[in-house]
Amino acid sequence: MEELVHLHGIVKRFPGVIANDNVDFTLKRGEIHALLGENGAGKTTLMNILYGLYKPDSGEIYIEGRRVEIRSPKEAIKLGIGMVHQNFKLIPQHTVLENVILGLKDVGFIIDSKKIGEEIKKLAEQYNWKIDPHVFVWQLSAGEKQQVELLKILYRKAKILILDEPTSVLTPQECKYLFYALRMMVKEGRGVIFITHKLDEALAISDRVTVMRRGKVVATKNTWETDIKELASFMIGRPVLFNIEKNKTYSDEELVIVRNLKVFNDAGVLSLKNVNLTIRKNEIFGIIGVTGNGQQELAEVLAGLRRPVDGEIIIDGIKIVDPNPQKMIELGVAYIPPEPMKYGVAPNLSVIDNLFLKAYRYRPYSKKIFIDIKKMEKKAEEIVEKFNIVCPSPSIKVRSLSGGNIQRLILARELSELIGGVRSKLIIATYPTKGLDIAAAEFLNKSLIEYSKLGTSILYITEDIEEAMMVCDRIGVIHDGKIVGTFKPGEVSVEKIGLMMAGADASISS
Amino acid sequence: MIKYRLRPNVVVKIERRLHYPRKLSVLSTILSILIAFGVAGAALTILGADALIAYSQIIAVFITPSLLIETIKYAIPIGFAALGLNIAFRMNFWNIGAEGQIYLGMFASTGIVLLHVYYGMFPEYFVLPMMIVTSFIAGGAWCALPSFLKAKMKVNEILTTLMMNYIAIYFVDYLIYGPWRDPKGFGFPLSIPFPEYAKLTLIFGESTYLGSILFIAMATLVYCILKYTKLGFELKIVGESLDTARYAGTNLTKVITLGGFLSGGFAGLGGLTIVSGIIGRLRPRASAGYGYTAIIVTLLSTLNPWLIIPTSIFFGGLFVAGNTLQVTLNIPGATIEMLQALIFLFILFGELFKRYKITILTGGGKPEP
Amino acid sequence: MGTIYLIASLGEVYAERSGVLNLGLEGMMIMGAAISFIFTIAYGHLVAILMAALIGVLMSLILAVMAIHLRLNQVIVGLALTLLGLGLSGLITFPDIRRRILSSLNPSLPESMLMIQQAEKLPEIPIPLLSQIPLIGKTFFTHNILVYTSLILAIIMWFILFKTRYGLIIRSVGENPSMADSLGVNVFLVRYVTVVISGLFASLAGAYFFIGFHPFWREGVTAGRGFISLALVILATWNPLRAILGAYLFGGVETFQYRLQLFGLGAQSPYFLAMLPYIITIITLILISIESIRKRIGVPASLGTPYSREEA
Repeated sequence: MEELVHLHGIVKRFPGVIANDNVDFTLKRGEIHALLGENGAGKTTLMNILYGLYKPDSGEIYIEGRRVEIRSPKEAIKLGIGMVHQNFKLIPQHTVLENVILGLKDVGFIIDSKKIGEEIKKLAEQYNWKIDPHVFVWQLSAGEKQQVELLKILYRKAKILILDEPTSVLTPQECKYLFYALRMMVKEGRGVIFITHKLDEALAISDRVTVMRRGKVVATKNTWETDIKELASFMIGRPVLFNIEKNKTYSDEELVIVRNLKVFNDAGVLSLKNVNLTIRKNEIFGIIGVTGNGQQELAEVLAGLRRPVDGEIIIDGIKIVDPNPQKMIELGVAYIPPEPMKYGVAPNLSVIDNLFLKAYRYRPYSKKIFIDIKKMEKKAEEIVEKFNIVCPSPSIKVRSLSGGNIQRLILARELSELIGGVRSKLIIATYPTKGLDIAAAEFLNKSLIEYSKLGTSILYITEDIEEAMMVCDRIGVIHDGKIVGTFKPGEVSVEKIGLMMAGADASISS
Repeated sequence: MIKYRLRPNVVVKIERRLHYPRKLSVLSTILSILIAFGVAGAALTILGADALIAYSQIIAVFITPSLLIETIKYAIPIGFAALGLNIAFRMNFWNIGAEGQIYLGMFASTGIVLLHVYYGMFPEYFVLPMMIVTSFIAGGAWCALPSFLKAKMKVNEILTTLMMNYIAIYFVDYLIYGPWRDPKGFGFPLSIPFPEYAKLTLIFGESTYLGSILFIAMATLVYCILKYTKLGFELKIVGESLDTARYAGTNLTKVITLGGFLSGGFAGLGGLTIVSGIIGRLRPRASAGYGYTAIIVTLLSTLNPWLIIPTSIFFGGLFVAGNTLQVTLNIPGATIEMLQALIFLFILFGELFKRYKITILTGGGKPEP
Repeated sequence: MGTIYLIASLGEVYAERSGVLNLGLEGMMIMGAAISFIFTIAYGHLVAILMAALIGVLMSLILAVMAIHLRLNQVIVGLALTLLGLGLSGLITFPDIRRRILSSLNPSLPESMLMIQQAEKLPEIPIPLLSQIPLIGKTFFTHNILVYTSLILAIIMWFILFKTRYGLIIRSVGENPSMADSLGVNVFLVRYVTVVISGLFASLAGAYFFIGFHPFWREGVTAGRGFISLALVILATWNPLRAILGAYLFGGVETFQYRLQLFGLGAQSPYFLAMLPYIITIITLILISIESIRKRIGVPASLGTPYSREEA
């Protein structure tokens, strides 16, 4: 079969990490090629290079046998490459038609919406989609928006389709539609690269699978020659990176009780459908699941950033009514958010300011309307020393710190008993080791474990099964807004957990 | 980094600066002002006005004692408005409405005087303190409304504060052409003249202006609020990122509304100093765009309350010079507006030199790859 | 009366649709008025309108360079330009300066023409037949050429914005510049063009106001009408056709206000009427902040934020 894409020896470095380490990858005409790997394995980076968003440090790109340099998405589009990003790039206030034709030169001065509308409709019907080109995008469901994204690419006559985690926003029903449509598309002579971290999906849809781990390609296999076990071992079967001695005494006292919790996400869809969980004192409770199954919303509700629709939250015997961040902080809930640069820190403020982002308003750092800068500075120096935050001075802007140091800073803030000098009762940690190197991750996990021994409950949200097994005392698997199973590390095999994460429905179909 | 090659051996390199030295910032500001004066001078000369006379008049404003007092009087309303804007801009709230808030301050302080004179309310010694408090509250409320709307509903504050300027101006117009017109004023649109105890020259007589004492006290207050209070800390976080502030458990509605109130309040005090310090009564269009000038002053003083003092004295001097130019030398007062605009534009350009490092390489014919 | 608001807001609709807030509208408008005043005396109406157009283009280019390319704060640059316009136009209030400008522009002008504060008004063109209709004929069908042009323009500009490829590009740049960029749209070019359009229209509005409506020069003659036009853009929710209605509403309010004063009715009411456009605009601003309404109307999402590829 003819090669549509050939990537050879691609290397891409970001400060501190090698995102792609000498990667080879081919896509043939007429195939769906799954690119499998955990978050951070380098899949998206590789595809962003193919789509012209990043420039590789070295390596060659061949499109249909011809060596090319892709400097921008514009050039990628010209070469027949189209990409559907995880977050849709659509303008909600515009119609489907307007979104599809934006930037096209050959539609003429006056948009003949009748004629183009017909064309789009016909194109959509080819794949059994029923889309009215004249409705506004904000009126569409997530699945339909994805169809618009695909139409945008197909209308530009793309031969190479890249889909980044396309099922993360879809219902099982919508997934089936998508798979059917993709099959049709490759039959017509295109090639599809399907980025995913779901094993069952990769098996169900693809002709070939390439597994990436830590920036390298581990294996490329024909799908019919492999099975879920082998893929899982490729994907997560790395040696244990660090060993943590727990030596814990366990308590039976239930500190956090969540009953029948229901929560909307930003799009107004019920993303927590019915969550029940309890976390005991001393306990690290892990939540694992595929991103977008409600774990973010769970963390935000407990941190007071999101309002529950229904259900009950009890922390240390106190029933939480109408939560807000301030209330939860005062109750002793600490929160280590994902993407620290987004809201975990204020990058243009100093290390001191960021350490006291929450504590500034509580004694002894504040009296009535005043804050005590001297006390803050003194304490900050102490913390910087204790948590080994590498910075020339605590008054330097956080922006100039490295990612690992920023994560340390957040950890320090949440663990340093700054608020009223009292230890936090509950720490919510969402993807805390994402983007950290091994040493930094180990430091963080060890700190959390040590802290839990003091009597604090920790809710540890991660995608990394291995990590959860190592750090957590109990693990719950979240799927589609529900906890579908709870177990202790070692009770259940990794493969079984993978299947639980994929959801009961999917496990039957694979 | 961008590189332009002008000729084979001349390469202009533009790169983003990570840190810029303070000296450079002062230098670029002064340079911008000088360039603005140069350009304005050239324009005046072409148009047939004598730029030298105009400029000597401007210098005179700062060195002649009697004019300097006048200059300080004009600097104070600008300075007050800038103090307020300092708070607003710090929390990333683009208050364009200092002008309107000044008018509300004038309205409130005149209202107190009228209540006292017509209805005999409050004892004499109580009038001035009442004026200070009410003008602060009136200006503050005028800005708290848009800041509340921004906090609660994300209503664009640039547009609301701008629109509210005109509402305030017409409101004061209405009062002064209508119910507040001085019955003994021969039909001129003027309020009654303020009694001596309602003027800011109250204690020490004409030469020591109470307004400047009030101003220094308030500048100190603002400095302390920003540096030593919870609110100051919160303004900083809110200005940096709303998401982070929310995460930190900061009460956004409270902080933004209160920040808006303080911002408008200081502008309101500026209004007080116009009617009670400069004019001695209320007249229509009593503020000659001081609220807009305050925006330049605030940006020029890099959000530092102390730098507001010299900067607003400089612009106050320009206003005084504008008045004298028009009256005595028949040089258009509009020159001052033009000068302000040019200073503004050149300083904005100067920002770029602070943000980017531009190096011109004239190598010995060695073209870079 | 409404025409001045209509012309100015048409251009501003384009600038804001592409994501740039032009707060220099007032300055460009008054410069348009000032230039048309000078050039009408020197060379007549046609040259005056052309030169007014030119000054608007020049001023908006300053805004474009500073706000789009150099990514300086649009609000601040806009206000600075307004101040610059007020300052420069204020200079010609002085007879000496005006005489010097006029005599160097056209040395053959008689001495008497050098000192006048007034320019010749644009002729009114009655539409044949329609203007003969009793009662409404004079009100609706006897106007100068710019009135008719502005109405036709509003329709054309609505058509371009919503029915053509270029309109789609403009709207997309305002909604999501980084996405438009990735699809091959030149974001900078689009914004340059729309900002220049807004400057052009603002100064033409100023010229219309002066030579078509109120040909008597005084300092600050446009009296905040640029800001009213800015308000109108919001009231019209960034739609050129709705701007027609809004413009005549604001114009009507203003005319009514003059009438009241003329007849000495309600001595206080003119001030409240003058506030009306601003109050309506603030109410509109609040309404369009409500999520469900916002979604339907399409407030340009990137309004006021400069675009830079590296940060996107």
